[in-house]
Amino acid sequence: MNYATRKGWQTTLLTIVGLFCTATMIFPLYWVIISSLKNTTELFRSPPTFIPLQVDWSSYITNFVQNQDILHYMFNSLQIALGTMILSLLLAAPIAYGLARLPVRGKNIFLLAFLIVQMFPSIMLALPLFVMFSRIGLINSLLAVILAVTTRTLPFAALILRPFFLSLPRELEEAAFIDGCNLWSAFYRIILPLSRPGVVTVAVLTFLMGWSDFLFPLALISDDTKRPLTLGLYKFISEYGTRWNDLMAVSVVAAIPIILAFIFAQKYITAGLVAGAVKE
Amino acid sequence: MSATATTTPRMPKTSPVKSRQRRLFSRRIGPYFFLLPATLFLLIFLVYPVCTMLLFSFEQVNIGSLLTGITPFVGLDNYRTVLTDAAFISSIKVSLLFTLGCLVFQFCIGFLLALLFNTRIPLVGTMRGLIMVAWMLPIVVSGTIFKWMLQSDAGVINYGLQSVGLIHTSIHWLSDPRIALWGVIIANIWIGIPFNMSLLLAGLQGIPGVLYEAAVVDGANVFRRFFHLTLPLMRSTSLTVLMLGFIYTLNVFDLIYIMTGGGPVNATEVMPLYAYRIAFTQFDLGSGSAVATLMFLLLMVVSTIYLFLIRREEVA
Repeated sequence: MNYATRKGWQTTLLTIVGLFCTATMIFPLYWVIISSLKNTTELFRSPPTFIPLQVDWSSYITNFVQNQDILHYMFNSLQIALGTMILSLLLAAPIAYGLARLPVRGKNIFLLAFLIVQMFPSIMLALPLFVMFSRIGLINSLLAVILAVTTRTLPFAALILRPFFLSLPRELEEAAFIDGCNLWSAFYRIILPLSRPGVVTVAVLTFLMGWSDFLFPLALISDDTKRPLTLGLYKFISEYGTRWNDLMAVSVVAAIPIILAFIFAQKYITAGLVAGAVKE
Repeated sequence: MSATATTTPRMPKTSPVKSRQRRLFSRRIGPYFFLLPATLFLLIFLVYPVCTMLLFSFEQVNIGSLLTGITPFVGLDNYRTVLTDAAFISSIKVSLLFTLGCLVFQFCIGFLLALLFNTRIPLVGTMRGLIMVAWMLPIVVSGTIFKWMLQSDAGVINYGLQSVGLIHTSIHWLSDPRIALWGVIIANIWIGIPFNMSLLLAGLQGIPGVLYEAAVVDGANVFRRFFHLTLPLMRSTSLTVLMLGFIYTLNVFDLIYIMTGGGPVNATEVMPLYAYRIAFTQFDLGSGSAVATLMFLLLMVVSTIYLFLIRREEVA
């Protein structure tokens, strides 16, 4: 066997291994979708069917058409996710820019603080925030959850955005100043529009973090009408212990924003997650 | 800059000088306004709460004190209560086992996948992207999926293991106290693999290809190249990945809460779950705070060790 064919065999083999690993990793996702489309008899069939014998949409119809509770939960999740996204961007963008470009002292202290803050267990914040929001009457509100989740997303967002600002050429700001911009107008008119990839990454990630959060709503919300989808799903698990096809249908819908984000913004997300975890 | 500002002689209200002084002022102070909103936010909703929590851990705080605001100082009583509680001691053990179990597998599998995806094979980008989905899925959803897959009678994992002949009777993954921890570990490994893989892959891509070419010229085979080149060069990346993994895994709450709720008989009750139970179902917020404080101390110790190791790495 000559070198070229050996190389070819090696590539084929590695590709097969890669495909196998990928298939194994996304199998749970496949399985939840398949399970949501089976009827109850088929769901508990042994051996299980890997392609549904007959596609049954009734779990979706029960949970999203007949029973409107879930839609309500989804709307709450949407508000929490959007609120978290907007608040995180509004707060994180200026500080990330300040720490990237402006002449301020103590930059390293801020960066270190952001890293340390990410270590805090969420439970460590949920507990005092519960007390604090109870005292000021903010408990049981979506705003309380948004504020709580933003304490987690803000440092993360700032750490992701900073490298994007660092990478812009300095001449841009100088040109803006000559044209009569002050710091803020230069930031909003020139810098932010040019950092769109970074802003998109942060927007998507903070949205998803708001959408997925469980502990803060669990600790801060007891009113059923204010529950987000994550809590709704949990309520389902305890209520309909064995109605797995319904649970799977709700899970699929809860995963939709993530799947959409991956289809449309995957490169932003992957790069952002890596950058956020190891600073720059 | 400040020298110029102060030594400028005061001129009778001439606008150019005044506007220049204003410009200088805004140049020096202006930038700090960029930091202000986020700093204020974090001071109010993060630093202040964490400080009150530290205080709570020395006070008696229960549901009544939420209304009255009376929280008598009790010294180290909360810590004493917690440290003499067998359930807390067990939660430390469970947490460490859980974290260790997850880290070992996540890291090894993640490393192997990173090595695989660092090669030039077709579809590598797509495969990497698909694997990342596991990490971004809401944990509640992942927990529900795994709860279903680990079901003892209709679960696909038991079916798979039985059909390849690894086991003969169904394993009660989440209801047998001796095995339940492994059930949640399996789910968390699945969540953690993409994270380990992507960070390690970023590290591998940072190794200059010239080094490998030189090693090939010197006649080093795949294994020697891995053990004498890749591994040593990946040390600091690996340390970072393991440290971040340790922090994330020790803080895992949602997944276990969804899958087992800490049961059966506390077999999967990790520290965050214990803290939650004490604080939000027994409403002993003081003791709950003590647990959270202890957890944070543990994390501080680990990250100090990490910083020490990293520094030694950089010096060496």
